[in-house]
Amino acid sequence: MKTKSVQNKWSWLLLVLSAVALLAFGSLRDSGPRTQADRIDAITKVLACPTCSGESVYVSRASGAESIRAEVARQIADGQRSDDEIIAYIEARFGSRVLLVPRSTGLDSLIWVLPVFVLVCAVGTLGFAFRRWKVVGSDSISDEDTQLVERALREDR
Amino acid sequence: MNQTSYSHKKVAPIIASVVGALMVAFLWVLVTAEPNTADDADSPLLGQPAPSVISTTVDDAEFVLANRKGSWVIFNFFNSTCVPCIAEHPELVAFSKRELQATNPAEIYTVINDDNDASVRAFFSKNGGDWQKVRDTDGAISVSFGVAKVPETWVIDPNGYVRLRIAGMLTPGLLDDQLAQLKTQFGS
Repeated sequence: MKTKSVQNKWSWLLLVLSAVALLAFGSLRDSGPRTQADRIDAITKVLACPTCSGESVYVSRASGAESIRAEVARQIADGQRSDDEIIAYIEARFGSRVLLVPRSTGLDSLIWVLPVFVLVCAVGTLGFAFRRWKVVGSDSISDEDTQLVERALREDR
Repeated sequence: MNQTSYSHKKVAPIIASVVGALMVAFLWVLVTAEPNTADDADSPLLGQPAPSVISTTVDDAEFVLANRKGSWVIFNFFNSTCVPCIAEHPELVAFSKRELQATNPAEIYTVINDDNDASVRAFFSKNGGDWQKVRDTDGAISVSFGVAKVPETWVIDPNGYVRLRIAGMLTPGLLDDQLAQLKTQFGS
């Protein structure tokens, strides 16, 4: 029984480690050098159209979005700035409302941190609760309960 | 059994306090957060050196913003088909005439947003406005100032710093009042 439980634990650990490794590989793998068009697409997908509601610069055909796309293309063609620097340039003009993906610094970082915090708390609380139920379940037979069962058995005889 | 209920009594207030504190924190963030609307006249550029502007006018003259240092510069981002731009135009014309009486009159420039030379020339010959109209090819000037939609009016001080952004239509006297305040604050 104990061996089976240990085996189960190892299986779960292996499963979790495999999932983490595959996720890491998938998100970090190098898909080769990017073209200028790839960079324009990647940048405009994370910038919000300043005059639309919820549309990215990549999707929108509004005049403001077209101007931003042209500016991004111009800066990429210049080759002076990285993708992050171009996004920072646009943000420095339009403010943080132009970012579709919130920053990972300052108050905005709460958006990234809170879900993880809540998940860890939830899993921890559930684990703690399950463990306690198990412990309480095995140790909770009081003397009163024992006497009750014995009396019932005696009456059956 | 007694021990279990004792634990519950001990843990429940802690959890409730943590949840309560989080709710209060969220409420605090919502109450104190700056409003974030597209028409907000705030801009990260206020108090910063104005972006570099090198372009040409519809009369094919060169325009370099850096060469305008020493004068108050007003940029009016404009499109001849935009209704608020048309509506505010008489106020801008009246302002330009009043400004001519000032000791150091502000220079007004129209920045053409997503429009063509012919339409702009036709509009100004019909409605007046004897100042230079600067081309904004591909919206580069608009993006460098963070102009999302026209009309927008920007004021740049004689040292080349951005001092004011008015998003939307100019109301009578607004630009005069704001410019007078800026001149008092930063020197004319």
